[in-house]
Amino acid sequence: MKRSIPILPAITAIVAASYFLVPLFATFYFSLKMTRGTLSFASYQSVFQSDEFLATLGYSTLASLAAIVMGAVIIVPTAYWVRLKLPKLRPLVEFISLLPLIIPAVVLVFGYIRLFGSNSYLPMTSTDHGTNLLLVFGYVIMSMPYMYRAVDNGMAAIDISTLTEAAQSLGASRLRTIATVIFPNVRASIIAGSFLTFSISLGEFVLPSLLNRPAFGPYLVQLGQDRAYEPAALAIMSFGFTWGCMVLMQAFANKKPGQGVLPRLPFLSRKERRA
Amino acid sequence: MTMTPTAVSGEDHAATPGPRLRSTFGWSWLGVVPFFVFAFLFLIGPLLYLILGAFQNSDGAFTFDNIVALGGANIVASFSLSIRLSLLSAAMGAIAGLLLGHAVVLGGLPKWVRNAFMTFSGVASNFAGVPLAFAFIATLGRLGLVTVLLRDLFGINLYAAGFNLFSFFGLALVYLYFQLPLMLLIITPALDGLKSEWREAAEILGATRRQYWQMVGLPVLTPSILGCFLLLFANAFGTLATVYALMGSGFDVVPIVLFQQIRGNVLYNPNLGYALAVGMISIMALTNILYLLLRRRAERWQK
Amino acid sequence: MSFLSISDATKSFGANTVVKGFDLAIQKGEFVSFLGPSGCGKTTVLRMIAGFETPTTGKVMIDGRDVTQLAPNKRRIGMVFQSYALFPNMNVFGNIAFGLKVAGLSKTETEDRVQEMLKLIGLEHLAARYPYEMSGGQQQRVALARALAPRPQVLLLDEPLSALDAKIRVSLREEIRDIQRKLGITTVFVTHDQEEAMSISDRMVVMNSGRADQIGSPAEIYNRPSTSFVAGFVGTLNILKAKVTDLAQRQVFVGGKTIVLNERIKSSDSNLLLALRPEALSLTPSARQDVAVEGTVSHVNFMGSVIRIRMDVDGEKIVFDMFNTPHLTPPTIGQRALAHFSSADVFEITA
Repeated sequence: MKRSIPILPAITAIVAASYFLVPLFATFYFSLKMTRGTLSFASYQSVFQSDEFLATLGYSTLASLAAIVMGAVIIVPTAYWVRLKLPKLRPLVEFISLLPLIIPAVVLVFGYIRLFGSNSYLPMTSTDHGTNLLLVFGYVIMSMPYMYRAVDNGMAAIDISTLTEAAQSLGASRLRTIATVIFPNVRASIIAGSFLTFSISLGEFVLPSLLNRPAFGPYLVQLGQDRAYEPAALAIMSFGFTWGCMVLMQAFANKKPGQGVLPRLPFLSRKERRA
Repeated sequence: MTMTPTAVSGEDHAATPGPRLRSTFGWSWLGVVPFFVFAFLFLIGPLLYLILGAFQNSDGAFTFDNIVALGGANIVASFSLSIRLSLLSAAMGAIAGLLLGHAVVLGGLPKWVRNAFMTFSGVASNFAGVPLAFAFIATLGRLGLVTVLLRDLFGINLYAAGFNLFSFFGLALVYLYFQLPLMLLIITPALDGLKSEWREAAEILGATRRQYWQMVGLPVLTPSILGCFLLLFANAFGTLATVYALMGSGFDVVPIVLFQQIRGNVLYNPNLGYALAVGMISIMALTNILYLLLRRRAERWQK
Repeated sequence: MSFLSISDATKSFGANTVVKGFDLAIQKGEFVSFLGPSGCGKTTVLRMIAGFETPTTGKVMIDGRDVTQLAPNKRRIGMVFQSYALFPNMNVFGNIAFGLKVAGLSKTETEDRVQEMLKLIGLEHLAARYPYEMSGGQQQRVALARALAPRPQVLLLDEPLSALDAKIRVSLREEIRDIQRKLGITTVFVTHDQEEAMSISDRMVVMNSGRADQIGSPAEIYNRPSTSFVAGFVGTLNILKAKVTDLAQRQVFVGGKTIVLNERIKSSDSNLLLALRPEALSLTPSARQDVAVEGTVSHVNFMGSVIRIRMDVDGEKIVFDMFNTPHLTPPTIGQRALAHFSSADVFEITA
């Protein structure tokens, strides 16, 4: 039991770190070589000059944001209600919310195409709006495991039923309880879940590809087939973007209620309390 | 985000229970109706539709033909390829993740090492699909940085030595990039749950490190390892974008085959498509049942 | 020759020294407690004996052998942890058999020994239970049996009762002491509960910020604490202000009277503090109680067999108990009263 130098763990960590970092470095290095003979950010410029890049990124951002809002609207009340009133339903709700983890996206979207096809009872895919909505719903389903986990953990951490009882014994209506007590306390978890949702759906390929949506994932694949350097630049940017999402998510997930990450949030909660 | 409370209250209004007696099984179930309706429409419904469709012919009559068609040589080969690839990448991810987890959680390394790996893993486990494929092409492709460096500096020609990124093992190596971090993320709580007193108790009773891991550490971790393995398997089994970006549509794992079917790039038979989907669902279901059975055995000492 | 000795042991973690110059010699079969507040270093000393910590300087000897650098699994020591630390994947039998299995005992030997141990702790009927199916008290008895099964030379108990309910705590500590006596095993017991330490030990070590303040039998420690820390930590103390009247003759003035102290006065100025155990005080004087202080009764707590009384004396609060009898009328709050004590029971304490 010598604790001086943990040689084996150190070697393991170094090997793992190289496995993780070398591809990133290689990609970055490759992305700089677009201009023959020198290293430059030409590939990045080229990416940003593409209209299709901006259009597809914009589309996917919008779809992802919509999925986040929808997901929160469906999952937060459910998680709250199940914890508060229907604990017996919890295993079922948990099972359903975790199901998408093992259902491949391609199976899910196949079901959508058949079930909501042009000659079905609910022909969502026959209009653009319908298909867009279907895409968003698909993202809600795919991110449900993460959103539900995040929100449910957040609620577990603050003992939702005692808080609710305390608020109601002080005379708060249920609406006010939820708006001023529960929501501010689980807001950080919701935001954490949101960033996860965002990082999953932004570059997702299968759903928009099979629903024929002009999204970022299919654009990436197409670009990968047509170009050499831009995909590397995009890979680096997308890694950086995912990293940003994760850092923000962790910042929110570890944040204590009332302590602000963004300056806007504490102000908001103060206003809510006064209301 | 600001929409959330409004939505909560709207739904809550309908569900506010009246006097106590009624509320026992009165109206409180209404509160979960939106969730169940949504899940039924966009998760359960589509799956059921596929399952039912798998047992129908194009006229809607009941048939086993589609299931029988799953036995065709091409499809069996696809499933076999998918299962082998998923098993291999899940095994690699699980073992590597366990080793790395052991190193950074229990290995006595500085705390920042663990934190760095955890944050990185959060990123890398979501770093799949196209960007990942590019990253590996830039690293280990025929002109990848590592390939070239090994050739020019050490005279090692990877591709001449039989390595190929665009192969079964190459793909498994790429999968490892998200499988290993995923394993690390989900096994860490279990590793943290191994009480240091157990190790100390074993040690003071005369056990060696090895004996401790054999008799206590691994048996205690087994249920978690099984669960993580299943998740990694499912994760690999459903992976499409990474394969597609790396190999094009020529590498016939089941998701690619189904993808091609849906796209209509090959002879299109929706009911065979259903059968393919049902095949995938069945494999997931089987793995889950197997997992539950194994976990029951491994967890007989738990509540 | 002592059986277990720790000589001049020091332990530092970085700049933080948690054990300083610790010396202790324990006889074979002795039951010694380490008592002290959390962070006093008692657990660190225990872990040095176990081998989980290596002393920065100093030596640990067991049965004449220097074990300072020896790995824990080579020391033949039994240890019981506060959190029980039973292996969750093994039932009671498996847990107790663990040490025997790794020692390579045959199956029948193992079974016999486990049965013997189960009998010792009176849990023969629970051999097939898993830890989660047992109460804390049962789990801790199994942990004790597991520690004792491989016939260790020394038994270490690291706050084994702290996680248990008050009632079980008392009954289990008696059981532990009985088993220890029966086996005659040299035992070190770590606790922060002074009552527990006093009731169970042959000798106690009272520890304070990494040092052993006093080592002695429970009676010695309680009746003649050598430092004010020991006096304050072990048992309840009442403090009385007094004035030195004659330093050489050890005379001090307290309660309107000059008394002679048993020991030399340490105070450097004319004021000093005197300490008294609660049981040395009473409202009704006995024959040997020659001094009294006057004060105001501030609390009267009826506790059944005794009544606890608090009084304000010159701004100091003093506490003592009186035995309840059916005809007793307890004093009322606010009443002026005399608290009597014997000048022989008073000792000086440095602030």
